[in-house]
Amino acid sequence: MNLKEQTVKTIMYVIGILIAVVALFPLAWMVIAGFKEKTEVLATPFRFFPEKWQFANYSEILADPMFSKSMAVTFAGAVIFAALSLIINSMAAYVFARLEFRFKRTLWVFVICTMFIPGMAILLTSFIVVTEMKMLDTMAVLILPGVASAGHMFFIRQFYLNIPLALEEAALIDGANRWKIFTSIFFPMSYPVFVIVGIGSYLGYWNSFVWPTMTITNPDLFQIMQFLNTFRSERSTELGLLMAGSTLAAIPTIILFLVFQKYIIKGIKISGLK
Amino acid sequence: MQANRGKVLTGVLAAAMTFSFVLSGCGNSGSNEGNANNQGSTNEATNNGNAGEKPAEKVTIEFWAQKFEDTTDAWFKKWTDEFNKSQDNVQVKLTIVPGDAWTQKLKAAQAAGKAPDVMTRNYSGIAPGAKNGEIMALNDYMDPAVFDDLYDNVKEFITVDGKYYAYPKLVEPSAVLYYRKDLFEAAGLDPEKPPVTWAEFIEYGKKLTQKGIFGASIAQTAPDLGWSSWGLQYNAAGHLPITDDWSKADVMDDKYKELLNFYATLYKEGIIPKQQLSAYADAAPFGQGKLAMTVSGSWSIGLFRNDYKDMLDKIGVAPMPSIDGDQTKPTATLGGWTLVIDGKSKKPEAAAQYIQYLLAGDPAIMIDFFKTSQFSKFSPRKSVDEAMNQDPAASADEWRKLIAEKVIPYAKAEPAYPWDISIAFATAIESAMKGESVDKALATAEKTINDFIAKSKLAGTNPQ
Amino acid sequence: MKKKNMRLDNLTAYTMLIPIVVLLTIFVIIPFVYALIVSFYDWSFYQESKFVGWQNFVNVLNDPLFMKAVVTGLKFSLFVVPAQMILAFLFAHVIRSMGSKLSGFVKTSIYIPTIISGIIASIIFVFIFDYNAGLANVIVNWFGVENQAWLADVKTALPSIALPAIWLGFGITSLIMLAGLLDIPDSYYEAADLEGAGPWTKMIHITIPLLKNVVLYLLITGFTGAIQQFELSLVMTGGGPLNETTTPNLYIFNHFRNDVLVGHSIASALLLFVVLGSISAIIFKVLNSEKAVDG
Repeated sequence: MNLKEQTVKTIMYVIGILIAVVALFPLAWMVIAGFKEKTEVLATPFRFFPEKWQFANYSEILADPMFSKSMAVTFAGAVIFAALSLIINSMAAYVFARLEFRFKRTLWVFVICTMFIPGMAILLTSFIVVTEMKMLDTMAVLILPGVASAGHMFFIRQFYLNIPLALEEAALIDGANRWKIFTSIFFPMSYPVFVIVGIGSYLGYWNSFVWPTMTITNPDLFQIMQFLNTFRSERSTELGLLMAGSTLAAIPTIILFLVFQKYIIKGIKISGLK
Repeated sequence: MQANRGKVLTGVLAAAMTFSFVLSGCGNSGSNEGNANNQGSTNEATNNGNAGEKPAEKVTIEFWAQKFEDTTDAWFKKWTDEFNKSQDNVQVKLTIVPGDAWTQKLKAAQAAGKAPDVMTRNYSGIAPGAKNGEIMALNDYMDPAVFDDLYDNVKEFITVDGKYYAYPKLVEPSAVLYYRKDLFEAAGLDPEKPPVTWAEFIEYGKKLTQKGIFGASIAQTAPDLGWSSWGLQYNAAGHLPITDDWSKADVMDDKYKELLNFYATLYKEGIIPKQQLSAYADAAPFGQGKLAMTVSGSWSIGLFRNDYKDMLDKIGVAPMPSIDGDQTKPTATLGGWTLVIDGKSKKPEAAAQYIQYLLAGDPAIMIDFFKTSQFSKFSPRKSVDEAMNQDPAASADEWRKLIAEKVIPYAKAEPAYPWDISIAFATAIESAMKGESVDKALATAEKTINDFIAKSKLAGTNPQ
Repeated sequence: MKKKNMRLDNLTAYTMLIPIVVLLTIFVIIPFVYALIVSFYDWSFYQESKFVGWQNFVNVLNDPLFMKAVVTGLKFSLFVVPAQMILAFLFAHVIRSMGSKLSGFVKTSIYIPTIISGIIASIIFVFIFDYNAGLANVIVNWFGVENQAWLADVKTALPSIALPAIWLGFGITSLIMLAGLLDIPDSYYEAADLEGAGPWTKMIHITIPLLKNVVLYLLITGFTGAIQQFELSLVMTGGGPLNETTTPNLYIFNHFRNDVLVGHSIASALLLFVVLGSISAIIFKVLNSEKAVDG
């Protein structure tokens, strides 16, 4: 029995590590290809490691002002976007989870319906709207259109529904108003679900490229995926540089993810997806 | 209902524009100075009356240039700066738009009525653009003399219903054969005798194929074939796969079967890679030594000369082989770029002034461009060619001479019909390569084209 | 939720709802209504638009390429979603039975691909599927198979695009699956052990029924995500060869980019919306009703 358990455990270890290696391989290859000469990235025969490690690609892409600028601009945008997304959607989530008011049902249907409208169908007409609002080539055009999200609101609401009523009833008896209850009880308790929605929003912003490509023309506001995709199509022979750029563009999200990792699984557990 | 909606939208737009117009200081005044014409025909031009009272404000025009080679971008920047410095009336704001983003950005901007005043456009886009009002006729805004400087065939490319809708910047044949002389020798072929028939191209390709080096490459995906095979469609059948009045498909031609077989043989025999190493327009794999022959546009000369200098001695340039070896048949279309003015531009005079300065003015500006492009592109203007012939570097360039003498004279204009037609025929070529029978592939293309003609009421709309 | 507290909080509620309602109205509802209207027009940007009734929709439905794109989207989802679910299920089990020491590292390495953008994934996998020197061909060469045209062959192109999709989505799927798995009390399994149940019995009678909601959720989100995928095919194949990888959204996007009149593109997007919308609505209904019972 003991031996059998031991064997099973060992096999699981091996499988687990294998899966991990396979999952990480494409990324590792990308990182390492960034250290290769441009002709070496797709050289035959295949080599995983470079003949000679060289840092020229990384230093060149870091020295490219367009790249660092778009990293900075995208990062700032993503953080603001995530923060606004949390505030706006959690307020609505709280209202729908706890408050009673006239037209609640109507408003609920109104908000939820937007969840089913595919982005592709409104791509062009949204563009016309933002153009008429004079929002082209501003950070606002990147942040505002996607920040209110019925999906995120719904997700947070599920979490709020699971918070025991007893907590706020005490506060209500003490005369606290609803806004106070939201800011002092719900908001602080929300961190697990906020981590998930926050990272989700952040990623959505960071990784988007069709919308920025359409709305941003000013090179000073280029978003990072827009930059990378342009780079890919235009300097198609600079493979090492492209790999280095892709690596660096992925790093902020990876770090963010590692930092918040342990909260994520907790958030998923608590948010009632069981 | 629709009219209402249209009106509301137009109203909002107009209001918005008026507002920004006011903000930017009613800018158009004085823009006509130094311009040959002073039409006063548009609303804005009437503002000229104010010019005496207030100091003239600069007119700012938006210019979107599609991203090309770095050297071209640099040329646009340099001469736009020069233009801005050269006078006080017009300020051009240049934006280089990445090729990938171009179509969607422009489409969105047009939908919102915010297209740039001036933009790059290729020849095949001129007639359809003129037809539906996307671009403006230039006759009223530019000196008629500048159009006389154009070669007659190029003049036709930009003419729709007797009016000029673009000013051309360059022409470049879409298909030229590049081959490796050293590999020819190694394979026992005469490096001075490149293939002239399709059969030879296939035969040589087989001989040149070896481990790590493919015998040849040519377009092999439908989006690339769509435009790069126009020349060969002419070459094979003498016509395009649609009747001249665009009333029905003209696909069922035995010569087209040969064309499809040509591509299919190259693919099935493994002469070209089974998966393209790069897009048709990008000849980098040839420069990197992965191919013995490649078919690409004349622009690739610029790439080789800028990026693969150590290869140059080994490269031979020749016209694309022809179906029967007759090299006076077209093998290429004359692609190329022009500048056009948006149909809704509020500042056509200023825009035209800029286009005239850049493309139709001092030949030295254009010569600077052809030099930076390593003579891989060709002038649509006689005066530029004359001036260039004085230039030792240009006149001594063998490749330029060969293309100018043996490819361009026989090249055809790009078709003006919608892309759907081209892609339908290209899909037939690709499916033949991927194993579909040639007859079936052509039958499908015929049906697709006829369906498209019916659906979009294309019959009789050929603008040329 | 019991309606114990019937006091109405109209003012607070409306104030807190203003941002979301305003933003959704401006950036979703108005564009949507606008799109609905123009889908009945031959919308031209430079000339008077013509009302064409249902013509755009009829054209879309008669376009064999649209039907092909929908089928491609379904096939793509069939490649991606089940593979992802099965892998995630197995992986969650592996993690569960691993000691915590190593499982942290393994978990992290699985999750990281989740946060990689479609663009970066496409770039990497284009190189992996390179004809001459890509890793995929190196691997098949080991087995004596000659180089494959992964992205250009009609048979392999779609699966080749599905692979990065699985890679990207696998992490979050396992994460959610694991969360569900960890929620099942150990006592259930212990009880089963006492009765001498084998691993299969436990899986069928305990794990799968208790994971039902999680699986359902993952199926829905996985399906709607996969069928809407278009970045991968846009960057890796451009929809080729022969439209084999033209997913519905890429079809719409291409029409939007290439057509002079965009009514067709918008009509096809709306038709797709009807399909997707009904699927998500069903899923949502199911999830929401479960919640209502819980709450």
